Amino acid sequence: MAFPQATGPGVKAVTGSLRPALLALLALLLAAPSGAQEPAPEVARPAPTVVSPPTAAASPAGEALDPSLSPECRVPGSKLYTLAKLQAVKAALKEKRPVRVLAVGSNSAGPGASASYPVKLETALERSLPDVDVVVEARGLQGEIASGAAERLRSMVADVEPDLVVWQVGTHDALARVELDAFADALDETVRWIKSHDIDVVLVDPVYTASLAQDEYYLSIVHKVQEVAARERVPLVQRYAAMRFLSGRTDKSEDHMLGRQFRLNDLGLRCMAEHVTRAITLSLLQPDATGTAGPVLGKSLQPAAKDGTPGPQVNPTPDAH
Amino acid sequence: MRDANAIDFWRGLALVTIFINHIPGNTFERYTYSQYGISDAAELFVFLAGWSIGIATRTRDGRPEPALRSVLRLMSRTIEVYRAQITVMAIALALIAGTALLLDNPLILEWHNAGTFFADPIQTIVGIVLLTHQLGFFNILPLYVVLLGIAPVFILLARVSRLAALALSTGLYLTSLVEEWNLPSWPGQGDWFFNPLCWQLLLVLGFVLEDWNRKSDTLRRWSRRLTPIGIGIVLVGIVLSVLELRPDPLLVPEPRLIFTFDKTYLSPARLIHFLGVVLAFQAVYAMLAPRIGVVVGYLTSLGRNSLAVFSMGSVFSLAGQLLRFWTGGGLLIDVVIFATGLFALGFTAWFVEWRSRKQPARA
Repeated sequence: MAFPQATGPGVKAVTGSLRPALLALLALLLAAPSGAQEPAPEVARPAPTVVSPPTAAASPAGEALDPSLSPECRVPGSKLYTLAKLQAVKAALKEKRPVRVLAVGSNSAGPGASASYPVKLETALERSLPDVDVVVEARGLQGEIASGAAERLRSMVADVEPDLVVWQVGTHDALARVELDAFADALDETVRWIKSHDIDVVLVDPVYTASLAQDEYYLSIVHKVQEVAARERVPLVQRYAAMRFLSGRTDKSEDHMLGRQFRLNDLGLRCMAEHVTRAITLSLLQPDATGTAGPVLGKSLQPAAKDGTPGPQVNPTPDAH
Repeated sequence: MRDANAIDFWRGLALVTIFINHIPGNTFERYTYSQYGISDAAELFVFLAGWSIGIATRTRDGRPEPALRSVLRLMSRTIEVYRAQITVMAIALALIAGTALLLDNPLILEWHNAGTFFADPIQTIVGIVLLTHQLGFFNILPLYVVLLGIAPVFILLARVSRLAALALSTGLYLTSLVEEWNLPSWPGQGDWFFNPLCWQLLLVLGFVLEDWNRKSDTLRRWSRRLTPIGIGIVLVGIVLSVLELRPDPLLVPEPRLIFTFDKTYLSPARLIHFLGVVLAFQAVYAMLAPRIGVVVGYLTSLGRNSLAVFSMGSVFSLAGQLLRFWTGGGLLIDVVIFATGLFALGFTAWFVEWRSRKQPARA
């Protein structure tokens, strides 16, 4: 589970043995400069809007960048995810069985990446969830959700039988410019279907690129993914917002033969595994007790930190089922 | 140039349907028959390919040509199809990359499975040549290459016994369904979009039925009697697809592929629906042909040149997709794409025939 060569500065401390790994996990979750409560306000906030013009390098209201991410991928939490519960993954953790993840969408981690996206995702998840075996199965899903792809996804899920589906969604429908409502309805229905079989879902919305920043249709597709994630209460990785944030601060770094948008795109692909992992890890800390996501992260984690509970139990508030 | 016939007509219709269905989201998509049934144009295309092999591997008086000649004929066709796939893939990737550059929009690189090539060309170019890396909508020809490659086994066996060929084919089909056998994709995980181990059954079925049809009129008699059943199946298919009723793949019993409506594995429901379509529409060509001469002329010219028309059609479809994305779509654009596409398909067919007339003695 330790892959030192791929480790970013934020997670350097993670090694193979149990205790340092656990400490690293806790450090990773608590290490935000603004204190352990930092991510908490984010989860209570409604899905952030993305239609406003791009912000400059500084984050709004001085929100700190998430330091658990590698420097080039650092984004404030509110730009990166909305959280929700992941019951099936929690159940797998509790039963100490391997967590099966179906990663749907592009396999690419950008040109010249150290590993493909599924490999990176598996590595990053195993690093964040010490002593948990994570198995990532990746599938490309061709076609549009609004037409045949939703059906194919069902076959895929039936084939892989995962605990969690991480779904990069919206790109193909946006490229085909399918009707917005047809897209949203089909996505909603498919997410509901996955959840009805006690399988968790994490949605990943489409990429940001400057030439589409003013494209109303494209922004609406991104919005629809957010709406469905909020309605169905599934975690969302806001790739669009994260990349738009990164686009404001990558000027100084190296250039790209094909121009800035292509460099940003490569960066987005490189960071995706980390960003998805962050959203999953934090979502696992959502309490089971109440219906809505609340400012619970810091508080609920602290007792566990004091007790020093060992093992892969990521949810520090034990529950009865 | 052969005369207009039902096979070329239906194949032409399948080609036009595939062209339209490969521009997802366009206005005309909802008027194709694929939207009103469980099976679609792909089944028709592969079945008719099998039927045509039956015609092609015989002399004019219906006797089978020498075995070696049939094998060589199929090999040479396999190579032609393979060459078409490689060419079309190169053009498709260049269209995608060129559009991304032109619009300064890297999102386009993520077009249905193309991202893998642009991120990792070293592995992916090997996959393309091996046919294990396929772009979305560019996955029928790889199926066809494999089907033609294995066709000699079935065709030579059918000369000894049609039943044996059909039994072997059905056995392979059922085993692949139950055991979930498929050819792997590489690079990347997953399997082929069209599973040749299952789809071969349609090719063999087309071939065997053509043979049977020629030797006796039993098939014709029975298929005429069964027409009402075919119409019934078609009606059920319309209802199921309009109401979007289909089995939940996580609720059906094992082996689940027997019960689901799966395109990759050509699940039995799709196969039965397709046979129903054949039964229901078998007499339609004879009824239509005298009345719609121009349409028949157009569609049969496409059907006669199906490989070229299909290949160019998939490039035109992709260009249409990119144009729709760039312009934002809309009815006007869709009409332009549709009209230009139909003309381009027709021109492709005419051009291929013009070329072969120009060079009658091809080396």
